[in-house]
Parts: sequence; structure tokens; C-alpha cells
Amino acid sequence: MTPATATRPKPPPKWPYTVAGLALVGVVLAAGWSLEDARWERLPQFPGAIWQYAAQMVDGVLTWPGAHPDGQADPDLTYGDWWLQALKLMGESVALAWIGTCVGALVSFPLAFLAASNTAPWFVRMPVRTFFNAIRAVPEILLAVIVMLPLFGLNPMAGAMAIGIHSIGSLGKLTLESIEAIDPGPVEAVVASGATWWQRIRTAVIPQLLPETVGFWLYRFEVNIRASAILGVVSAGGIGALLSRVLRGREWEWGGIMLVVIIFVTILVDQISAALRHRILHGADATAVAA
Amino acid sequence: MTEAALERPDGPQSPARPAKPPPSPLLIGGVLGAVAVTGVAGWAIDFTLTPVIEQWSTLTMILEEVVHPEWAEITDPASRLWTALMETAAIAVIATFVGSLIALGVALLGSKVSAPPGVYRVTKSLMSVIRSLPDMAYALVFVAVVTGPLPGILALTIFNVGIVAKLTAESIDAVDHGPLEALDAAGATRWQRARVAIVPQVLPSYASYVLYVFELNIRASVVLGAVGAGGVGQLIMLYFNRADYPRLAAVVIVIFAAVIAIDLLSQALRRRLV
Repeated sequence: MTPATATRPKPPPKWPYTVAGLALVGVVLAAGWSLEDARWERLPQFPGAIWQYAAQMVDGVLTWPGAHPDGQADPDLTYGDWWLQALKLMGESVALAWIGTCVGALVSFPLAFLAASNTAPWFVRMPVRTFFNAIRAVPEILLAVIVMLPLFGLNPMAGAMAIGIHSIGSLGKLTLESIEAIDPGPVEAVVASGATWWQRIRTAVIPQLLPETVGFWLYRFEVNIRASAILGVVSAGGIGALLSRVLRGREWEWGGIMLVVIIFVTILVDQISAALRHRILHGADATAVAA
Repeated sequence: MTEAALERPDGPQSPARPAKPPPSPLLIGGVLGAVAVTGVAGWAIDFTLTPVIEQWSTLTMILEEVVHPEWAEITDPASRLWTALMETAAIAVIATFVGSLIALGVALLGSKVSAPPGVYRVTKSLMSVIRSLPDMAYALVFVAVVTGPLPGILALTIFNVGIVAKLTAESIDAVDHGPLEALDAAGATRWQRARVAIVPQVLPSYASYVLYVFELNIRASVVLGAVGAGGVGQLIMLYFNRADYPRLAAVVIVIFAAVIAIDLLSQALRRRLV
């Protein structure tokens, strides 16, 4: 018998993980304990109540659009009107998210060059990066409430600008990171032939950068559609305002219709955007002929 | 250097400079499409920037108030702000913990590596439906059952399950198949495969996703408060409705500091994990 078979390696000790796990559970329990008005005893009511609300929502969605809902002030109102209104407001949400994304893209793109280590000196880089980080830290809803609503009033422009400003931060960060990750070869080649800063950016950096950046913009558009639904709750445009009013009023049938419209449009835009991003980043498939 | 000096005698070494390829119809179509969508969207929301100029005094007034916050709100540890902030932190911690635990299970059901084809397809489409609803909508429905922090916790938990499960399922799709084959050869059950070969491989990225949603939760719980689901968001809406800008500014400053601090902390942790 050789010594090699006698000593099987010992597994590493497990106690540090146990201690860390217990500490984590302790923190969570302490957090639960600190919420005095959480009313945990109401938790068992949720499944029943949600089931009941969901059933009413499904009812609303499945009812023939020409039918008239009960208990409405306007006797001519049909379910179809609810569908149309939900679609119209969701369209406004999408439009607002698109404009917000455009604002974010147009402002963040030039700024990112002033923030990347290979295109800007440190004394330019630092303030621009701090600016990106600062605006990323302010949630859209705060921007909307504090700056945009007083400025633009209760309309979609306020939401679009809140989304736009917030997007500058996240798009700027993503873009500057991909500027820093470009292949330095082409840049060196243009520098060797005596290119100015501007020529270097235009011919060696931007062409490398563009597909990925456009992908980020599309991704941000998807994120912003979700954000725009939230901004409606503070009346900054889009479907959120009505959704919040309808759900607070417990009009579950109408609420169900609005939620279906939100889900449907969000998934549709995600699919289109994902297909576009794939096409931009990976080019046409082998089956498609390059133009 | 003269033109003549640049000219070289004809021969195979001096072919004509290749012409720049024209832009592809797809590119032209894409740019035109984007411009058209922007035009329609701008028209739909009445795009205008005139208020920025017309209301310049409003803007400077707001900025004035933001730089002169009600400091007592920040310095007094017994103030409403700190109570609400602690509540927000507690909501975020609980929702992250519960949501991430559920998400690990869902992720295992949502990857073709760990689940049978039927199960993983159903889980995937279910998750994409759950994710497409804004967290706000969940909060609004849950607030109808009971108000306070509980609906906020539940809404955030669902939101976390959606994100962590998606990212983790993608990591599971990309695990090294070696250990899996070894276990299959040894006759392991699905559960044993998951525990021994999959979870240990995805654990570092899973942990970093959990930290990432914890960051998101702090921001999201600000939003949830606005519909009455507890925490600092409720305070923001209160001060906003009262137009109490100095106190609102104090809240904004503290949230800003908290978000940056948590970002830095979780970035440092994530760098160690991955």
C-alpha cells in the first residue's frame, strides 16, 4: 500500500460559511423585527386576495370588448374603450422612453470621450466621471419630482427629461468603458501618420465603438420603458398615472386590461430591440447576403 | 512634397485606391427608421425645451433650495428621515434575502442544463412575463391587500426573483459540462447534479447578482414608497405634496449619499467575488 492512497485530501473547513450564513440570517431577522408596522400576521391573506383580484383582472381581459362594464358613470363606455385608452397611454410611455433614451444617448456619447482614460487627460476625466456617477445615484422619480415637474408641469416632457438625465449617467459609464476596451492598434496607426485628436477619434475610435454603443442605447430603451411606467405615478406622463388611479380604486377588470397591454407592449419592444441588437453586434446571419 | 513626387510609375504595385463601400441599404433604413420614430415620439409627447429657458428662475430657485436643505432633518438621528431610511434598508434586506433564495431555485428550473426541456421553457416564459410588469404594478396590487412595509417587501421580492433568476439561469447555461458528465456517469439524480456540479460553479456570479439587486432595491424602495408601500419614498411624496423643499432636499442628499456608499461597497465586494 502506497502512502498516496492512504491520505485522501481533507475538504476545506466549512465553519466560516456556517458563521457567515448565520450572521446573514441574523441580519435579516433583525431587519424583520425592526419593521414594527409590517403586520406580518396579514401575510396569509395575500394568496387569497391576490387570487381574487387576478380572477377579476382575467375576467376583464376576456370579456368581449363591445360589452359595457357594470357600475360605470358613462353608460356608453365599453371594454373596448378601456383597451384603446390603455394602448394610447402605453404608446405615450414608449414615446417618452424613446425621447428620454435619445436625450441620454446624444449627451452621453460626446461626454464619454472626455471620461475615458485613452481619450482624455485625468483632469478632464475626473469631473466627467464624477458627473456620471452622481446622476446615476439619483433615481428617476426623484429627478422628476424635484426638478422636472416644477419645470415642465405634469406632462410627458417631465418624464422624458427625468429619464433622459438619468440615462446620461448609465449610458456614459457603459460607453466610456467600451472606449477604454477598444483595440489600440488602429489608434496607433493614425497617430503614427500624424492625426489630430479629432481625426483619431473619428477614424480610429468611433468606428470600433459604434455597434456596441448602439446596442447599449437599445438596451437602455428597454430599461426606460419600465421606468416610464413608474414615472406616471407622480403624473410625469405615460400609463402609470392611470394605472395607479385604477388599481387604487380597485377597478380590477380595467386594471387587468392595462397590465396585459403593459406586458404585451414591453415584451414586443424587448423582442424587436433584442433582434436589432443581435443584428448590429453580430452582423447578418450566414443565410442573409451582405448588402 | 510635390504632386509629382507622390505619383508612382504604373505597375502592379500601384493599384487604384479601393473605393469606399457605399452604406448598406440596411444602415440607411435603420437610420431613417430611427429618425422617423424619434419624430413621431417627439410629436406624441409635445417635445419642447422652452420651459428650461422660460422657467429658468424656477430652476435656479430649486437649486437654491437643494443647496440649503433642512440640516436638522439629517443631523437628528430621531428624525422622520432616519426612521424612514431604516425602514427602507430593512425592506431591501428582507426582499433581497428571500427573493434571492427563491431565485436560485427558479434559475435551476429555468436552465436547460439543470431542468427537463418542458420545465425550462415554461419557467423561462413565465419569468419573462413576471419581469415585464413594473415593480410598481405589484406594489399597487399588494397595497390593496394591506398598507405599510409588507406590500413593499413582497413587490421587491418578486422584482428580485425576476432579475436574479434570469441572470443566474444564464450563468447556469454557461457552466463547464465536465463535472456534469462525471456525475451523470456516476448515476447522480437531478438534485445531486444541481447541488454538486452546478451550484458551486455559479455561486460567485450568483453572489454578485445578489449584491447587484440589493443596490437596485435601495433605489426601487424609494419608488415603492410613492404608492404607499412604506419607507423613504412615502416621506418624499409627503414633503413633495406639502412643497416642503428644504426637507425634501435633505432627503435627496441622504439618499444620494446612501446609494453611492452602497454602490462602492458592493463594487468592492463584487470585485473580490468574481
